[in-house]
Amino acid sequence: MSKTMEELYSPLVKGKQKAAARNWNSSKLWRKLKPYLYLLPAAILLGIWMYKPLIHTFYLAFHKWSMVPGTDKLFVGFDNFTRLLQNEAFAGAIGNTVFYTLGLLPFSIAIPLVLAVVTNQMNPRMKNFYRALFFIPMILAPVSVSAIWRWLFHPSNGIVNHLLLKLGFVQEQIAFFSDASWAKWIILLITGWKMLGFSTIMFAAALTGINREYYEAGAIDGAGSFRQFLYITVPLMSPMILFMLTMSLLFSSQWTFAYIDILTTGGPYGTSTNIYYEMYRFAFSNLNVGVSSAAAMLFFVLFGLIALSLNAVSRRFAFYDN
Amino acid sequence: MKRIAKRTMTLVSLGAMIGLSACGGASGDNVSATQAEMGTLDPANPITVAFYSYSLAYPTMKPGMEQLIKEFNETIGKEKGVIVEGVPDATMQQYKADISAGKAVDIVQHPFGTLDSSRISLGFKAYEDTFPQEELERHLEGISPNALELGKIDGKMYGLAFTFSTPIVFINGKLFKEAGLNPEQPPETWEEIKAASLQIKEKTGKDGFGLAPSNGWITEGLILSNGGQVLSDDRKEARFAGPESTEAISMWKDLYQNGASAVGTEAELSEQFMAGNLGMYASSTALHSGAKQAADAGGWKLYGAGMPRFADQEAVPVNSGSVLAVRPDSSNKNAAVWEFIKFVTGDRGYTIITSQVGYLPLRTGLADDPNGLKDFVEQNPLYKINLEQLKKIKPVAIWPGDNATEIATLFTDAIVKAITSEDDVADTLTKAQDAINGMIQ
Repeated sequence: MSKTMEELYSPLVKGKQKAAARNWNSSKLWRKLKPYLYLLPAAILLGIWMYKPLIHTFYLAFHKWSMVPGTDKLFVGFDNFTRLLQNEAFAGAIGNTVFYTLGLLPFSIAIPLVLAVVTNQMNPRMKNFYRALFFIPMILAPVSVSAIWRWLFHPSNGIVNHLLLKLGFVQEQIAFFSDASWAKWIILLITGWKMLGFSTIMFAAALTGINREYYEAGAIDGAGSFRQFLYITVPLMSPMILFMLTMSLLFSSQWTFAYIDILTTGGPYGTSTNIYYEMYRFAFSNLNVGVSSAAAMLFFVLFGLIALSLNAVSRRFAFYDN
Repeated sequence: MKRIAKRTMTLVSLGAMIGLSACGGASGDNVSATQAEMGTLDPANPITVAFYSYSLAYPTMKPGMEQLIKEFNETIGKEKGVIVEGVPDATMQQYKADISAGKAVDIVQHPFGTLDSSRISLGFKAYEDTFPQEELERHLEGISPNALELGKIDGKMYGLAFTFSTPIVFINGKLFKEAGLNPEQPPETWEEIKAASLQIKEKTGKDGFGLAPSNGWITEGLILSNGGQVLSDDRKEARFAGPESTEAISMWKDLYQNGASAVGTEAELSEQFMAGNLGMYASSTALHSGAKQAADAGGWKLYGAGMPRFADQEAVPVNSGSVLAVRPDSSNKNAAVWEFIKFVTGDRGYTIITSQVGYLPLRTGLADDPNGLKDFVEQNPLYKINLEQLKKIKPVAIWPGDNATEIATLFTDAIVKAITSEDDVADTLTKAQDAINGMIQ
């Protein structure tokens, strides 16, 4: 009887306990799951747009394929990599990538820093006028910008050659876009001019965050404007300077792409091409996506290392005025 | 913390896998097998044909090409049930990208040099495998046999010659006369070109002659004219670094570097000529309509001359332009594509192409046909020069195999380097030739 009683009695209690446990478990599970659910949309988007192509690029780097649907991908092992490293055009493209990356630094760091500081001291109206002037090239379409520069630098009809000849600086017209000693300098100049405004605006924004009291204290101690710039402005802007340095180093090759494509298509004889343009040509002109992917993999690793080391530099040298 | 990181990774890779499976389905459709039989067309349910054309992308050629498509759609297309949609493709990359993306690319206005590469990797089809033999033979009658040979690879026709030109030296009559030269008796040899060019420069202060080092095709004519070779007959070996080629390119380098030639890209030179600032400009007849308009607007007269020769050797003109390459994916598409090809390479098609765009009528009989182009050719005597050259035309090299585009780039780059830089011509050409032969074998 007691057993029956127990049997009658205990399941009820057990059931209660189970229900309680279940409630507790599911709420715990829900609590644990919630952050991931919030992350899910971003994770899916990243997966589709970043990780999937990345994995696919890695896969394609070991295959020969023309990207035509229905055709087979042929596994070729490390062939694409050896072919790439033997390719002279590729070596030249690496050299030019370094040229563009270093060459853009004055346009992305030095000149904008000066422009931002100089315009910062103007009255608000002039400040806005000048900053708008610097920023306008940034929002112009690369194709129209290229067309205008092409007219300016045209060998026979362009104003630049006309002036150079009139002023007696040169005896013969210069074909800026088809002369190997000029083409990449022109591409650099156009890209730099286009990017100037972006850095200037970023630096100007960082400048407004600096406490004026430092300058007052500096002035009382007898620091001139150059010393103030060197010992107050630069250290306090170091996080933004390092950020722009990272951006400039990592993206300069992409920024030059449009002008290379429109103005020189990498020529004359590959002297103005860069690594991104070569990758594009490997894939979409030569229809050899394997070689293009192999190049992309190499540069993924290389740029990854650059980004990591810049991160370390930033942690070491950036000064935050908290 | 570590556990959270681990779970995040799991989630991220899960997301990636979802992405993978989602995108995997896109590349499923297949390039179908060849079908030589023709399907039926139904005017009630018209078939759309995608036609990729570089002429549609250039201002001087666009109106003519648009008229060609419009006239077809409004007449035969409407009657039989075919709608052609033109896709402008300025750099001849779009069709490659669209084929890669799995879009229907049915007809392509395709350049000669990379035809073999496209045949291998992009699924273009031989005419003999796509259209019935007797239809094909009937249609090809009347087209210049020299031109028909040019689109053949291993005995099969992978491209039907479509827009076509031979080299021409456009002449600015005004600058010629100012320099004391007679445009009715233009220079015929490269020595005469150099002398005339220097004379124009001296007397008028404007550049005398222009040929873009990166032009790619007239270069081949130059090499062939001096007895050289570009590619062996069996297309297995590049041979453009021989003594004759070196001599030809050295002559050009002398023009370029010693003040007898304008500098700049192809586009810059054509702009210079059309602005009236260049005495002679070697290029393609495709620019004729643009050059004529520029001459009328600028108040000068346009003259022309054939491809110059080397001393006592006969000049060997080559062809520039395009073929129609096809890749229909069903028998009904075969029929639709065939209707368009018959129209554009027929009498009416060539009448439009020549009079509106500027390319040569490959149905050479049209030039004497009062209903065709007789009046037009009489008004534009430049065409007689090209029609005459058509008889002795040699094909440009169709570079072999998978690497045709890379090879074509290597060849052009070597020529540009040999002409514009201080590097030795023979060394530069030999180096490029070795690199190309390494790729072919």
